[in-house]
Amino acid sequence: MFFKYDRRILQNFDRTLFALVMSICAIGVVNIYSTGFSLGENAAPLYVKQLQWIVFGLLFMMVTFFIDYRDINRAAYGIYAFALASLVAVALFGHTANGAQRWISLGVFLFQPSELMKISIILALARYFDDHKSMEPYRLRELWVPFGMVMLPCALILKQPDLGTALMIVLVSASIVLFIGMNWKSILIAVSSLLVLMPLAWHFLKDYQKNRLLTFLSPESDPLGTGYHIIQSMIAIGSGGFLGKGFLKGSQTQLKFLPEQQTDFVFSVFAEEWGFLGGLVLMLIFTSLIIWGLKIALHSKDLLGTIISFGITALIAWQVLINMGMVLGVLPVVGIPLPFISYGGSAVVSLMAAIGLLMNVSVRRFILQR
Amino acid sequence: MNKPGNLQNGPEPADFRRKLTVVMILICAALSVLMIRLWYLQIIKGDELKQRSENNAVRFRRIQPLRGLIIDRNGMVIVDNRPSFDVLYLPARGVDPDSLLGKLRDIYATKSIDFSPIQPLPRTLKSYLPVRLEKNVGMEKVALVETNSMDLPGVYVDVTPVRLYLDGEVTAPIIGYTGEVSKEELERPEGDYASGDITGKSGIEKALDPYVRGRRGNELVEVNVTGKVIKNLGRIDPVCGANVVLTMDAALQKAAWEAFEGRPGAAVAMDPRDGSILAMVSSPSFDPNLFNSGIAREAWEKLQKDPLKPMSNRAIAGQYPPGSTYKLIVAAAALEEGVITPETRIHCKGSFDLGNRTYRCWRKNGHGPVNLHRALVESCDVYFYTVGKKLGVDRIAHYAKKFGLGDATGIELAHERKGLVPTREWKLARMKEPWQMGETISISIGQGFNLTTPLQLAQAYAALANGGTLWRPRLVQRIEAPQGGVVREYPPEKRGELGLSGETVKLLQQALWGVVNENGGTGYAARIDGADVCGKTGTSQVVGLPQDEQARRRKRIAAFQKDHALFACYAPAKRPEIVVAVVAEHAGGGGAVAAPIARRILKAYFDGKKKERPLEAAARPQTPMPAGN
Repeated sequence: MFFKYDRRILQNFDRTLFALVMSICAIGVVNIYSTGFSLGENAAPLYVKQLQWIVFGLLFMMVTFFIDYRDINRAAYGIYAFALASLVAVALFGHTANGAQRWISLGVFLFQPSELMKISIILALARYFDDHKSMEPYRLRELWVPFGMVMLPCALILKQPDLGTALMIVLVSASIVLFIGMNWKSILIAVSSLLVLMPLAWHFLKDYQKNRLLTFLSPESDPLGTGYHIIQSMIAIGSGGFLGKGFLKGSQTQLKFLPEQQTDFVFSVFAEEWGFLGGLVLMLIFTSLIIWGLKIALHSKDLLGTIISFGITALIAWQVLINMGMVLGVLPVVGIPLPFISYGGSAVVSLMAAIGLLMNVSVRRFILQR
Repeated sequence: MNKPGNLQNGPEPADFRRKLTVVMILICAALSVLMIRLWYLQIIKGDELKQRSENNAVRFRRIQPLRGLIIDRNGMVIVDNRPSFDVLYLPARGVDPDSLLGKLRDIYATKSIDFSPIQPLPRTLKSYLPVRLEKNVGMEKVALVETNSMDLPGVYVDVTPVRLYLDGEVTAPIIGYTGEVSKEELERPEGDYASGDITGKSGIEKALDPYVRGRRGNELVEVNVTGKVIKNLGRIDPVCGANVVLTMDAALQKAAWEAFEGRPGAAVAMDPRDGSILAMVSSPSFDPNLFNSGIAREAWEKLQKDPLKPMSNRAIAGQYPPGSTYKLIVAAAALEEGVITPETRIHCKGSFDLGNRTYRCWRKNGHGPVNLHRALVESCDVYFYTVGKKLGVDRIAHYAKKFGLGDATGIELAHERKGLVPTREWKLARMKEPWQMGETISISIGQGFNLTTPLQLAQAYAALANGGTLWRPRLVQRIEAPQGGVVREYPPEKRGELGLSGETVKLLQQALWGVVNENGGTGYAARIDGADVCGKTGTSQVVGLPQDEQARRRKRIAAFQKDHALFACYAPAKRPEIVVAVVAEHAGGGGAVAAPIARRILKAYFDGKKKERPLEAAARPQTPMPAGN
């Protein structure tokens, strides 16, 4: 019903985008193999699991690629509602790990609804702005519905607590709204009220989150806590030098001085073993991916495609910038993973689905033009 | 503006182009900043950071907390902590671990001490993770390692707290034991365990582990090339676990254990007024101190393979046919259901015929005509065969369940068994066969399918003793913070009421008094002057009921086929304050074996009361723990 096969879908398949994503995935798996190397005898090899997630993600990618994004978008609010309901379910009877309640157990694996929400909010906003087109930049009072759509999941995610993901949703949504166009006066009002609300928000932060922000300001002040992460991360990266220590040879990594090396701090492992050259290559691949995504947004034949592809590209760009900034010690430690590189099932699957959407928009500019 | 139909109004594409260019420039700028930062860290500061990474002598060290004490109702410490000296090895750069171990062995050899590593060195050594070479070593080894530290780079002595079970095997099945956290526990995300942590593995240690465990501390230290600590960079102190105050009376527990003289069996002493467990013995037992520094494999296998199962707690997990102790319940059912009156007399000729089968009374020549009181006092089987046949299995089961049988009592310990109260429905579901009348006959004297744990037996007799309230047996009174103050209270908990008439209760209580105090009573061996003991004997057949006496005698020769001896009792008759249930496995008759054990326990209880124990002075002094350094 949804899927109408068209020869041109495969003819104009976005090979560049696919190749870029798959090469990042490959780097990710190799890198996780390296971190897992020192995990020892009893742990299930993480790289195998990551590989399984990628294959699983490819299936999702096929779904989000083949079904016309305009058809998908008809379900945008439905998907959003499902993601929201899952977040409520997490809050009620979610699975807790490391002091945060973020997962729902689906028997064989844990599902993290906040990852699904990152994609659904983009679709929902795209749907909203496509339904409410305007020649003029939007004013603040026209934006209360999208504002609510963003804040509701954010509140639920902050409660888990997961500062990183909540921040991500706010950043991506704000990027979309600014991109669509917002009245200058409204921007001014929004920013100034945000500044006023900030001290209030500080009040609601968990202690560990406050500590993270504080230690960012002076990492050496707390060598036992988060400062330790930053110091060790910078030592690991720095010791890589120009060419790196070589695959499986990163001493900081292999000796497990590095905390959370398979998730948030995965880039320092990579930079230690592959050096400046490897780090630069990875950064350039990410840059190409982001520019490619923006190009798709530019060439889309309708507003819907533009917003979707812009939103997804913004999501990837923000994650890359914040994660690398944190690992390199220029931004505070907020738990944001590096797309396709960090270990994490829900994140990989939802990102792959997002890339499917991006390719979807990319390919359909050839089909819409009849 | 040659966009296709969809985009009729909305922002200008040119506007998008402009914005996207800005976005692109911004992102490229940001990524360039990151690339410059990467270049700065790896190229400019590369050498410096590389050096730091090679001399990265910063090590995390976990400091194990002291587990909470376990204390009896009088403030006597049952479980304490003591320091254990372990020899550790922190792999140091440029030292061959094998030759180092050889050196250690040589140094030990000078004093002719054996070097006995608990594990072979792991294949991959991690420079931040010390390997434990030996646990719980003597002072001689400590001195040798300390004095030769220059020759042994990376080898050092560490002090960690381990459990000290002051009463050893006396309390082991109840208190349980501790050990290093298992792989499964480590993988549990909510557990917050780290490898090397100590957790409770069974008994109270396990049930209350979240309270008792405390919180691990950690320490960041800088070490030199030989692995010696040169500087403390930061430390989070461990937090002591909370103390557990039991309802148990350690002195009574000890007396109860001694009363068994090593025989296999179990005993429970309980306060019938609120369900507090005063003593709970399971014999044979094991030494929980063996597990402190990792039990040797042979010792573990020996415990596991022992047919007497010393690791299991028979008081809650041992299921025995209740034998004649069950007659109390049949009597209660018969009175309440109006099947008999207290005066109803039944003639016992020594046997009871049903169809072509004959069921014997334990007294071969019979009791003659007996009423309910005599039937209980002399434990006449034929009387109860007759009454049980009239009642039927389901009515008996109804009352048995009111007494808490056939269901877990809900005590704090894991692995409690439910016992079994058979019904018609149960048999049909379980064996796909209808109930036989002959089985009712066996049931009515507590044989056949009936199964009861010693704890259930105590619970049931406690309910009769206090006039009809079924209390949940409880072992824990409260949890106390190490610095004082109550963390959690465990108040007594009512499970139900027997719902028997006052007259029935009175009649049964009188009969139980008669069992111990009247001529011909089967529980005469439990008599204590001035204590007014009431009770009921029981002998539960392990093998079926053979038809003739000869065969029965022959069967008795094999020890494992000998009958279990039971005795359940309470005292004093007027205001009962202690219930005791005893099961002695394969010991023979309840009156001859179990009743004297119960008597010793009761005697210890009343003697202890007389002495008026000074509460504080009796408490053992706590062993001071050196701060882990």
